[in-house]
Amino acid sequence: MAVIRDMIPPFELYQPAGVDDAVRLMDEHGSDGWVLAGGLDTFDWFKDRIKRPAAVIDLGGVDEIRGITGAADGGLDIGAMTSLTDVAEHADVQGRYPLLADAAGLVATPQIRNQGTLGGNIVQDTRCWYYRSGWPCYRAGGNICYAATRRSMNREHCIVGADRCVAVNPSDTAPALVALDAEMVVVSTSGERTYPAADFFIGPDIDIERMTVLEPGDLLTRVVLPAPWEGARWYFEKIRDRKSWDFSLVSVASTLSVQGGVIQDARIVVNSIAPYPVRMGAVEAAIRGREPSDETGHMAGEIAVEDARALRHNDYKIALTRNLVRRSIRDAA
Amino acid sequence: MAENVIGTDISPPDLRAKITGRARYAEDFRAEGMVFAKLLLSPMPHARVRSVDTSRAEAMEGVLGILRASELPLQESGIGEAALTDEPKYEGEPILAVAAVDETTAAAAVEAIRVDFEQLPFVLDPLESLREGGPDARLDGNVGGRPEPLTIKWPDSVFDEAGPDRLPMGEPAAEWTIGDVDAAFAEAEVIVEETIVHQSVTHHPMEPRSCMAYWQNGKLFLHGSTQSTERTRGAVAGMAGVEPDDVVFIGEYCGGGFGSKIAGVPSMAIPAVMSRKIGRPVMLRITRYEENYIGRARAGFQGWAKMGFRADGRMTALDLYLVQDGGPYGRASDFSTAATVATATYQPENMRFRGVPVYTNTPPRSAQRAPGGAQIVAMLEPLVDKGARELGVDRLEIRKINAPGHDGWLGQNQAPFTSAYVREALDLGGELFNWDEKRQLSGQRNGTKVTGVGIGLSPFTAGSAGRDGLLVIRPDGKLHVHQGIGNLGTHSISDTARPAADVLDLSWDDVVIVWGDTSKHLPFSTVQAGSQTTHAHTRANHAAATAMVGLLQELAAGELGGSPADYRVADGRVFRAGNRAAGLSFAQAAERAMARGGKFSGEVVPEDLNDATKAAVAGLAGQGLIAAARDNYPREGAVFTWVATFAQVELDIETGEVEIVDLASSTDCGTVMHPRSLAGQTNGGVFQGIGMAKSQRWVFDPKWGIPFTKRFYTARPPGILDVPRSPRFAAVNLPDPHTPVGAKGIGEPPVGAGEAAYVCAVADAMGGMCLCRTPLTSDMILAELEGRPRPYGLLDTHV
Amino acid sequence: MEFLRRALNPWGEDVPIGVSWDLIWAAVIIGAVFVVVHALMVPKKVGTGEVDPDEAEGLPEKLQRHKPGARGFHWSMSATMFALLITAFFPVIGIQFPWVTIHWIAGVLLILTVIYHIYHVFAKQDFWTMWIDRRDIEEGKQGLKAALGKADAERPRAGKYPVDQKMFHHVAMVATLGAVVTGVLMMFRIDNFLWAERTYMFSDATWGWIYVIHGVCGIGLIFLVIAHVYFAIRPEKRWMTWSMINGWIDRDRYLENHDPARWTVPEAGTQAAEAEGD
Repeated sequence: MAVIRDMIPPFELYQPAGVDDAVRLMDEHGSDGWVLAGGLDTFDWFKDRIKRPAAVIDLGGVDEIRGITGAADGGLDIGAMTSLTDVAEHADVQGRYPLLADAAGLVATPQIRNQGTLGGNIVQDTRCWYYRSGWPCYRAGGNICYAATRRSMNREHCIVGADRCVAVNPSDTAPALVALDAEMVVVSTSGERTYPAADFFIGPDIDIERMTVLEPGDLLTRVVLPAPWEGARWYFEKIRDRKSWDFSLVSVASTLSVQGGVIQDARIVVNSIAPYPVRMGAVEAAIRGREPSDETGHMAGEIAVEDARALRHNDYKIALTRNLVRRSIRDAA
Repeated sequence: MAENVIGTDISPPDLRAKITGRARYAEDFRAEGMVFAKLLLSPMPHARVRSVDTSRAEAMEGVLGILRASELPLQESGIGEAALTDEPKYEGEPILAVAAVDETTAAAAVEAIRVDFEQLPFVLDPLESLREGGPDARLDGNVGGRPEPLTIKWPDSVFDEAGPDRLPMGEPAAEWTIGDVDAAFAEAEVIVEETIVHQSVTHHPMEPRSCMAYWQNGKLFLHGSTQSTERTRGAVAGMAGVEPDDVVFIGEYCGGGFGSKIAGVPSMAIPAVMSRKIGRPVMLRITRYEENYIGRARAGFQGWAKMGFRADGRMTALDLYLVQDGGPYGRASDFSTAATVATATYQPENMRFRGVPVYTNTPPRSAQRAPGGAQIVAMLEPLVDKGARELGVDRLEIRKINAPGHDGWLGQNQAPFTSAYVREALDLGGELFNWDEKRQLSGQRNGTKVTGVGIGLSPFTAGSAGRDGLLVIRPDGKLHVHQGIGNLGTHSISDTARPAADVLDLSWDDVVIVWGDTSKHLPFSTVQAGSQTTHAHTRANHAAATAMVGLLQELAAGELGGSPADYRVADGRVFRAGNRAAGLSFAQAAERAMARGGKFSGEVVPEDLNDATKAAVAGLAGQGLIAAARDNYPREGAVFTWVATFAQVELDIETGEVEIVDLASSTDCGTVMHPRSLAGQTNGGVFQGIGMAKSQRWVFDPKWGIPFTKRFYTARPPGILDVPRSPRFAAVNLPDPHTPVGAKGIGEPPVGAGEAAYVCAVADAMGGMCLCRTPLTSDMILAELEGRPRPYGLLDTHV
Repeated sequence: MEFLRRALNPWGEDVPIGVSWDLIWAAVIIGAVFVVVHALMVPKKVGTGEVDPDEAEGLPEKLQRHKPGARGFHWSMSATMFALLITAFFPVIGIQFPWVTIHWIAGVLLILTVIYHIYHVFAKQDFWTMWIDRRDIEEGKQGLKAALGKADAERPRAGKYPVDQKMFHHVAMVATLGAVVTGVLMMFRIDNFLWAERTYMFSDATWGWIYVIHGVCGIGLIFLVIAHVYFAIRPEKRWMTWSMINGWIDRDRYLENHDPARWTVPEAGTQAAEAEGD
């Protein structure tokens, strides 16, 4: 059978008006259903005819999960359908969670940020071009990782966390949310569950065919940010090939609680080096009680890449990760 | 007196339609009963079609026809490519087309077709094909030759001697020498040598090459995207197997070509022939994905260069070897143009050039904005900087020392130039950029950022001659300038008409541009390629306007008495000198011309006109006062334009990221026709060139021979956010003495200038380390800075 | 139900990529049906206790059936097999955990176990005791008749291993070796402690069939394990199960089920006595 791309096959479109309807439809259609938010990930898949759901459940009309409100404990509650522009430009986000504002503001292009949603940015699929080409790799249910061979073009792929599959998580907001210790609220017909952001993302060792805990029928509805640390310092940086639409080669998000010139607590997260945002626990432990200096950063950088292992073309990611972790401590403000 | 329009900023006539979205591109047209075609692309980089089973597709409701390669009037022959093939030579090459009532059905039908392929050996890396026993991209050879492909294989010893990071240099396919290179190297003060690499990149025009065709009374009507108009008609006629007179080509707007749509594109044959086959208008919408396969690409190089300098900075010797990655068809001549452009940049006292154009199983190459030229300056300019550093000569100075003056020469035959204000352009750019101060910033560290500055000097051919101009003054008094050239987004359809307005001393408001539809009687024109248009058609329209003045004078004398020489032309009137009232308005002149007939209304035409122009005049005859003329202005030498770009960058040594802080460009392109457009052309080209070095890529999986960079976001051409907000620009604005208007083309040279300036600035920030290759992405830079393993071998292609 | 999972490779060729996971449930269901049908149809005949005193003469109370080495092999094999099957199939049916490392380590242990077994069989045991010969076939026929309750069928006595056990062994051996060989090949698809990946050493289609064989063997082993465990806990076979734990069988079971002519236990007494120290 010949392959043809760039032509969306027909599907049934459902436009629920509320979360209840949406999850009921998702439950009804199971793995034949597809949830559409901003469409930036979706339409690539559809156009290439690789994902061919029978039913598309468009969340465009689900207003109850769009918008930003204050949360109970002084935090912030962000609906998953909130546009990335709205996240990046929201006064509270900019004022109290500049880390997230920065991360959301660096996604793709202004046009894509207007259209793309926070939820979509979090749950988007990997951009591994072998997988995205529709090749039957592990992630697509096959028995091979085309990206991990010695001849593969894997400049953008994993240096840690690989398990057969070497794809990376492409999200810009995901590392920021992990660094902010956000909670992900997931709704299905069986009720509501909450996951710490760090547990929301899963590696190929657990399930090689998905990147988050979400299973068919699960809908990420809200992201809840806890009150930020008092006087927290933060840092976000995204390294990419160009400033127009591009995914990160490596990104880093950090929050530091610094008191008396000493790091009391820290959350350091690096993305696009693994199939999930990598929380650098060993780094965090090592820098507690130290000054946020270049020296501490240097040490942290070295620790961050201790377990890193390069593929054929991505050794630079080791240096980049080391340097970004270093900066995320040294230059946090 | 009407104001001269040459050198002023005037909105082009197509601008409003483009901005408001009313401009209709090929894809926007509809015709009664129109259906859609979809392509089945080869899944393999090289294969032979054993059999095709279309039974399931044909049984589908709404499927109207299937077109195979064997049904095309213009079939593959030798190294010539056709729109469809049964021996695909790159992954993505169209095998067949399906027409159906809608695209959804057509796509489903394509999916239902079963093709049995026989896999054939394929090659992506030219050097692999040059190895003994290495695969050949074509069954008839691996190297471009005339008339047939050649087979060239180098012994293993050539590769062994070179090692992994140095170009192996076996028997070339082409070679020429000027002077004695070896002797010059023996006497050189400083010698620099490097392996140099330039990537192949796809064209990425914004508008894919969609096309719609239908037949009426035996005539083919075809809406397509093309750079040229009049010259596309003949190409389409050939594809459809009919005479040019039986083709009406319509293409008023073109969303960019960059050399990939010069005079029609092979895929135009598909709707043309399919439409005839099924008896319905057929639209073939080319998607972005397909555009990346059939949309052409720039040839890449793996090369080696060695330069020798005298102590004063003069380049005494240049030894150049280029292995070209030329795709599977045709004869991309980038490699030989590259050598020619090198002479126009440095005037080396002695030079040897060797080259071998290798076929590969990657999408076809064609000219891409400064083909060969952009590549060579981007590879050689950093090497010149290296020489300058070793000599202790300023980098701007060394370019001026080696740049040609008016007595300069070009290429293997050392032909003269028509003009070369290169040093003036370098001085102008240096002032604009403030080189003397900026160069002091070189290597300056600010936090983790290091400043680098660089210069790129880029020449390219900039004009042809001998085309025709065709002007009509209609009874409405307007001057209709018939333009056979295409509207590829450069404003040349209107800018080349300016000399006509100025010669006739006519207000621009009274000028009507006729373009974009061959049924509108268009004169013989140049193809819109090689930056020929500005030069060629300012000449042609100047000639036609001069002829028009003569006709007006003669007409007035005939009508009002006296001798033609007594009459002047200005402000839409022909009148007796010194007495404006004694004359005719253009409207009256048109009426009288129609009444008189003969040479005034196009019944009699100059003999030296091209047949296409004669036919156009014949079609217009009797509709007004008609002047058609061939450009017979004398011209000695090659027309070349030079662009110098100056770049200031900041390199972050912890990430390898490069930020362009400042850009300034200057040019010698003769007389400036349209300042704003010239700046737009130049800056756009500079950005395009920077993109080829900084972010753009064309990555293939070497095992499967399949590219991944089929979308903008994976191919990463630069976007507006990647360049400085206010790049500066200036032109020398001195007329070329070999053309009446003084103008030379500008389309191509900025690409190499921008790319070279960027590469040189990055090398400067890295303390002069010459990577001499593109792409030069942050990963490669960081690996060098950190002393870590290189992401790719120095000679690796498609990375 | 599809037997294979298929996909288009990068060149658009239709290739197998593995066995259909539906077959897991097929194996479980067939196993369950087999167990139920067998349990209902075959009466639980515990030993009759009727032994010929002449034969019993000179035989010790306990006779060694499995040397400690053999028992070690069996239990090592069963442990690794359970580990392999659980790590292979639980994630597929939705119980997800990081299984790959456990799976391949268990696979390596299984390979070591098999190597030891092969060595043990040739060096320490009589290879031919597991061979199926004419008498086994006859025994099988009779046994089948007896099992099916044909009154006149006299249940024959076996050599060291009853024919059904031999048959199980051979089928399990084929399935295990199939899984082991393909499993080792699959290790060439990833970088590991022994070698760097050689993903492209076979064509896509060949790799596909390797995965199919691995899957078929694995799924086959699900059925075999179900059957094996079922027989192990059947009352009339428990003496055999015990012998796999403690190594010996008592004399009555020996004489009741085994033909001393086909399985002579010459130094049975000494062996039994030495058994603990072997």
